[in-house]
Amino acid sequence: MADYLSSTAPGGSAPTPDLSVQLGPLRLEHPLINASGTMEIFELAETFGPDILQRPPVAAYVPKTVTLQPRAGNPPPRILETAGGMINSVGLPGEGLEAFIRNDLPRVLALPCPVILSVGGFSLGEYVSLAGGLREALDRSVYKDWTARAGLELNVSCPNVHSGCASIGADPGETEAVVRAVRSVWPGLLVVKLTPNVADIAQVGQAAEAAGADALCAVNSYKGLVIDRRTLKPYLGNVVGGLSGPAIKPLALRAVYDLFERVKVPVIGVGGVGAVEDVLDFMACGAKVVAVGSCAFGDPYVACSLREELSKALCDRGLSAAEVVGYAHFRG
Amino acid sequence: MIEGEADCLVQQSPGSCPRGGGNWGRRLLGRVAATERLGSMVRLALHVPGWRGARAGQFALLQPEPSRCFLARAFSVCDEAGETVSFLIAPVGEGTRELSSLSVGAGVWVLGPLGNGFDVDGLVRSLDRTVVVAGGVGLAPFPLLLAQMAVHCRDLYPHPAGAGPGTATAAGPEVLVLLGFRDLEQARGAEVMRQAAKRAEGAGLRLTLEIATEDGSHGNAGRVTDLLEDHLRSGDRLAVCGPELMASAVWQVCSRIPRVQVWFNLEGNMACGVGSCHGCVVKMADGSYARVCHEGPVFSGSEVFGG
Repeated sequence: MADYLSSTAPGGSAPTPDLSVQLGPLRLEHPLINASGTMEIFELAETFGPDILQRPPVAAYVPKTVTLQPRAGNPPPRILETAGGMINSVGLPGEGLEAFIRNDLPRVLALPCPVILSVGGFSLGEYVSLAGGLREALDRSVYKDWTARAGLELNVSCPNVHSGCASIGADPGETEAVVRAVRSVWPGLLVVKLTPNVADIAQVGQAAEAAGADALCAVNSYKGLVIDRRTLKPYLGNVVGGLSGPAIKPLALRAVYDLFERVKVPVIGVGGVGAVEDVLDFMACGAKVVAVGSCAFGDPYVACSLREELSKALCDRGLSAAEVVGYAHFRG
Repeated sequence: MIEGEADCLVQQSPGSCPRGGGNWGRRLLGRVAATERLGSMVRLALHVPGWRGARAGQFALLQPEPSRCFLARAFSVCDEAGETVSFLIAPVGEGTRELSSLSVGAGVWVLGPLGNGFDVDGLVRSLDRTVVVAGGVGLAPFPLLLAQMAVHCRDLYPHPAGAGPGTATAAGPEVLVLLGFRDLEQARGAEVMRQAAKRAEGAGLRLTLEIATEDGSHGNAGRVTDLLEDHLRSGDRLAVCGPELMASAVWQVCSRIPRVQVWFNLEGNMACGVGSCHGCVVKMADGSYARVCHEGPVFSGSEVFGG
């Protein structure tokens, strides 16, 4: 196992490393963000008070994926712990784009960090409507230079909906078409969240890049299934779910590694990140930004701790954050 | 506020992490202060530096440090005294077994208190009787409910001259506690409730406790809903926690009596406990899904069952 903290720094001692990251037009204070659908910051504020809104634990906030129409989500049960992780079949519940623009967008934009709005559609037209609708709302907002504040993530990879979304992301041609269409209406940062449920994730990543994506996020959860031990039937209400957590980390690392070799745009790494070693692993594989997902359940401030530990780990090694990104690829 | 306290083991970090608000919102590292086996259940008392008091019906996410499990588990706050918080655990799976086998001094991560809890003040202000109905480990939230009702009762209905603490008075509300268990082994968990009832009575609550076991090995033979059928009267306000089948049976009994209000403390398999993961939803009577952790865990009977 990689042990960064005890290794001798190759570049000698360094001052406190600069953790800030430029992701397209967004400037992130540090490389740690949340994975969409794993952090409801306003619910956290309701429970714990508004402090979290003034000092979010993440460098950019990614809200839950917004769909064009309201969705109830999948029937319960929706989650279960599995070996080294968990499986979920939540199914993108939400109030839909109109309510999101009315109720959530103003408060999301008021956060002191950049935001990456996540959208999920069931057809090319829906993705365009979602991106176009958000763009119009942002153009109307008080934030004239909103592209420095808000980016867009295309969720073409949710494993828990029956059409569109992940089936688009599983096909390089469809992905390219959707990204190209969205690119024509969206002037800000455009991230494509990739599904790992494909034979060659880098091929889909290349298609997204060719169509104008500014960054790729890898990976969404792995399709899986669990059996109810009493009934011997599928446990999840939706039968199939998405596997996440430490169990998928090596798989996600491999996806990020492959993408780094074959695309030029920055990669956001996600999959089982709960400790600083995980953050460094993803950065070494090529992730410029690292997202925390299900490992933040039970500890909403885990990204805070990781940021501090990352700073220390980089100091100890005498490396800057930028030097670590892709380190595993460099020979010698 | 305990910030800066020497034995505070909360993860703190500088920079953008919250400091001004103390440790609120961060998980807290508690230590096992005591464990007690009560038949098939275990009472786990934790010393949790930084713990903010819970409202009865609220819960916390617990995870031993270290743990073999990935997710923390949700437990109703059973009782509390300052920073000592107790939970009642039935070891049924990996997470609950791990927690119930901890030794004194072991570390446990605690996130909470979470969720809405019971309207304790509303229950006490009402002149109607409160009926607590619990099945098995579902009794967990009620020792704290009785304790908090007793405090509110004392504030709202001062004892008449000569009737100090320790004397049940006719001024406060009446509470009937009905507990149902499978068998004697499970019924040993009732000890937690007996102790709480004794303290609440000492504080002036008028309280009656009845127990039923399905196999007749302790108390009345039968189900807790049989006890409820015998005792329920118009105007009662129910606080209910237990298995799903028990909850719907309670609602059926209640639907036959006019002017009965019911609140259910529901359970849900959850990951985050704070409304982020949308994993713990239950279907409400209107067809919508509600998050047990965020909109609940306490829901009114009409929200859950309609009518």
